[in-house]
Amino acid sequence: MIEKKNPVAKVLTHLLLLSIVFITLLPLLWMLSSSLKLDRDVFTVPIQWIPSHPEWNNYLRIWEKIDLGLYTLNSFKLTTIITIIQVLTSSFAAYGFSKCRFKGRDTLFLAYVATIAIPWQTYMLPQFIEMRILGLTNTHTGYILMQSFIALGVFLMRQFYMGIPDELLEAARIDGLNEYGIYFRIVLPLSGPSIATLCIFSFVTIWNDYMGPMIYFSPNHLKTIQLGIRMFIGQYSAEYGLIMAASVFALIPVLLVFLAFQRFFVQGVATSGLKG
Amino acid sequence: MKMKKVLALALTVILSSGLLAGCSKQTPSPPSASPQPTSSGSEAVAPVSGKITFSIWDLNSNSYLQTLVDNFTDANPDIEVEIIDTPSDSYVSKLNIDLNGGAAADVILVKEADYSMYQKGQIADLSSYIERDGIDLTTYNGLAESLNFDGKQMGLPFRMDYYVLFYNKDIFDAAGTDYPSNDMLWADFEELAKQLTSGEGANKTYGAFLHTWQACVQNWAVQDGKQTMMGPDYSFMKPAYEMVLRMQNEDGTIQDYSTLKTANIHYSSPFQMGTVAMLPMGTWFMSTMIDRVNSGESEVNWAIATLPHPEGLAAGNTVGSFTPIVINKFSPNKDAAWEFVKYCATAEGAKVLAEAGQIPGCATDELRNIITSVEGMPEGASEAMATKGVVLDRPTVPFVNEVNQMLGEEHGLIMLGEVGLEEGLASMAERAKEIKGE
Amino acid sequence: MPAKPTKTAHTRKGMALGMRNTVVGLSFILPNFIGFFIFILIPVIFSLVLSFTKWDGFTEMQFVGLQNFTNIITDKYFLQAMGRTLIFSAFTVSITTFVSLGLAVLLNKKLFATDFFRSSIFFPYVASIVAVGVVWNMLFQKDFGPINEFLRFIGIANPPGWTASVKGAVPAVIIVFIWKNMGYYMLVYLAALQNIPAELREASCIDGASPAQHFWRVTMPMLSSSTFFVVLMLTINSFKTLDLIMVMTSGGPGQATTLIVNYIYNKGFVSNHYGPASAAAMILFVLVAIITVIQFRVEKKASM
Repeated sequence: MIEKKNPVAKVLTHLLLLSIVFITLLPLLWMLSSSLKLDRDVFTVPIQWIPSHPEWNNYLRIWEKIDLGLYTLNSFKLTTIITIIQVLTSSFAAYGFSKCRFKGRDTLFLAYVATIAIPWQTYMLPQFIEMRILGLTNTHTGYILMQSFIALGVFLMRQFYMGIPDELLEAARIDGLNEYGIYFRIVLPLSGPSIATLCIFSFVTIWNDYMGPMIYFSPNHLKTIQLGIRMFIGQYSAEYGLIMAASVFALIPVLLVFLAFQRFFVQGVATSGLKG
Repeated sequence: MKMKKVLALALTVILSSGLLAGCSKQTPSPPSASPQPTSSGSEAVAPVSGKITFSIWDLNSNSYLQTLVDNFTDANPDIEVEIIDTPSDSYVSKLNIDLNGGAAADVILVKEADYSMYQKGQIADLSSYIERDGIDLTTYNGLAESLNFDGKQMGLPFRMDYYVLFYNKDIFDAAGTDYPSNDMLWADFEELAKQLTSGEGANKTYGAFLHTWQACVQNWAVQDGKQTMMGPDYSFMKPAYEMVLRMQNEDGTIQDYSTLKTANIHYSSPFQMGTVAMLPMGTWFMSTMIDRVNSGESEVNWAIATLPHPEGLAAGNTVGSFTPIVINKFSPNKDAAWEFVKYCATAEGAKVLAEAGQIPGCATDELRNIITSVEGMPEGASEAMATKGVVLDRPTVPFVNEVNQMLGEEHGLIMLGEVGLEEGLASMAERAKEIKGE
Repeated sequence: MPAKPTKTAHTRKGMALGMRNTVVGLSFILPNFIGFFIFILIPVIFSLVLSFTKWDGFTEMQFVGLQNFTNIITDKYFLQAMGRTLIFSAFTVSITTFVSLGLAVLLNKKLFATDFFRSSIFFPYVASIVAVGVVWNMLFQKDFGPINEFLRFIGIANPPGWTASVKGAVPAVIIVFIWKNMGYYMLVYLAALQNIPAELREASCIDGASPAQHFWRVTMPMLSSSTFFVVLMLTINSFKTLDLIMVMTSGGPGQATTLIVNYIYNKGFVSNHYGPASAAAMILFVLVAIITVIQFRVEKKASM
């Protein structure tokens, strides 16, 4: 497809993409520009895109006003641990759900899907009570356990594994590999892009989670970066300059993770594996 | 088949873990040393000790709370107080879950008038402590009664706020108009706003500013204390709405609701930038203004006057709200919690609040003088702050949260012109009836 | 389909094989399932039980049978919220699927600055929700917002009032939902596109198929399980949208953007009526279940 593309189409594609990118980035530009303003100047009418006196100080003040270092560290810790547990157990379970045949498999899987469909707000209170009984509120462990096994990871991985042709596995079985062998030697090497997707998904979700930490972490030393950002929104006044500065800062690690993983999405990576 | 088994298993686990017994958590709290109500002997007061938690919001902008805790622990070295800080916009949700989940702090500041926590028995009755220590409830300017349910005093008024009129002296000077007096009708306010409005477009100076909260219209309707936001009929709000709609749609003396709402314009920025002449706002805004002027972020030459009043009502009657301080009924260390509550809500604690420019629940003239002599307070503040009566904008009664939310929705529709005023007020009455009928 | 052997006659060997398959299958699932069961499934089942009770979240609960269900399906606010949710969902699901697939196909090749394009499109998904709400409200501003300025520039005299009007609020929220989510689903499609063997493309080139034919005959069928995932996840997520609404409109003006989760949240956390809140969630769940089963069927048929 690519090789044959005529230059006009190529230029058009780029123009289309550029205009989409412009739209997606416009709000980012606004965030950047607001992060360099005083609170009272953030919402001036009409919009001032380039601040006349950039307030670089905002990026220092966010470190002084809250324990941003501690919060960032906590966020990193939680995000990394949860992502690892989730990716490992989900991809393992997804293999069971997609490539092993046994009785009750689909009903079990439906239980997973069912929990995705129910809004968290509905079972937030029962879950909180359970966690309190188990003594897991106000601990990082509790939050990790609560977030690591959400059904979405299993669901996502299962859908990818469904796309792997069964003939491939059948061939391996005939060659005498057992299911674990097939998983580690054949399926896992093929799942680069899907694991990357799940990593990115999990990382972003936990990094940006606000309600969970808000409810589960009362003491200051447990708090995360998103809680920190909300601390700039007061009852009677919000420090939007600082909110934007902290939001821009919080964006950086996630974009780095994205860039690190997105090399898995290069066309053709998976093809050689299929011949296995 | 499988599913059934899973379900059955799940249910047994739940049942056995005591989750289903929503009441199980009500069995008196941990086996702590403090035997409950009558424990503290009348004579030799046993030394109270231990650790308590104190749930608050916005510690960042309320640093006096830290001062309060520090001063208290200096005086009571045996008691440790840990502050639990939650962002204000989530405070009510978090408190709700903590209370229901049985994990709430020992001492709690209550953010919005909430009835259900008192009704459900989540809050401790302080009557016996109050009696023992001889706390005089009449010092709370009439606020303590609203925390009294069936003869049980469930908390003490910690802090209070009420509406005053902030104004920008420079704009008045430029227009050659007298500063607003402490005895002014809303009709005068409306007229004055016209005289002070000038300019066009981005350079327009508005005579007044009314924030998007429903309180900034509806409060002027309940100011006389004859009606409350609970209805059941809302036609009494008509004059207040008519005035505000006139100012918005005909006179153009206030910025329109839709712009404020969508552009997220907070009342503080236009006032601090000096594009607004008069701003009816709560007393909490005084300390913000002092900060901003001191830090050089704002150069506004500001002052305050008493809130305008409707005809037939004496000047000095205003609308406000107060912050109760309460003790969690399941706190394992109520004695220590009480010592802290007592400190916060009586003279010593009140002084800390006053020095930070906050009005304590037990405000006296002496304390008010401390507030108005805080550095940066404008001249004439103490006369402007004198009150004859403060009506609570949100009574602590059943369904107050639901009615409040409904009023907010209808308020938005009226201000945007999506529904007519008559229609909107009628809809308020109808929906209030629905809510209470449930 | 791999496990056909299990279907062979009821021999002892077959039984043993079935047994072994179950053990092997479960051994894959168990590490995740234990955590899932304790921390997710139990609370979910508990909230299912709640839907048959009257409970204020604290004092003793009373069993009330189906009363919560009959109450809410006759509650006009519930029905209105449900209606709005379905409209919201129909638009967001279809448009987001379409857009993200298109973007994935465009960005699945080496272009000038592919990384930059991908990251930029992914950025909205990552951006913190507080910032997003504030920024978009500003962009949608009726009189001076860039969006309406642009619309006036291209000749639309009376652009919509967006979040400041009853009619414009839902479209505004839909647009932001799509903007925020398309990057993520683009990624899902990108990952799936990697699984399509290059040999297939070469083969259809040799057969003389045009790129369009190749796309519809080869690529789309290969993407079917991902499309299933994308559509289902989008449906569920659009049903569950709350954060975005709260930061943009708080459900207003009036109740113009009060969707079903706002309704549930208000019932539960504002009114402390946990029974009706759970009942509403169960109705939502049944809706999703129906959609899922239909899609499962379609998926099975497609993979036959």
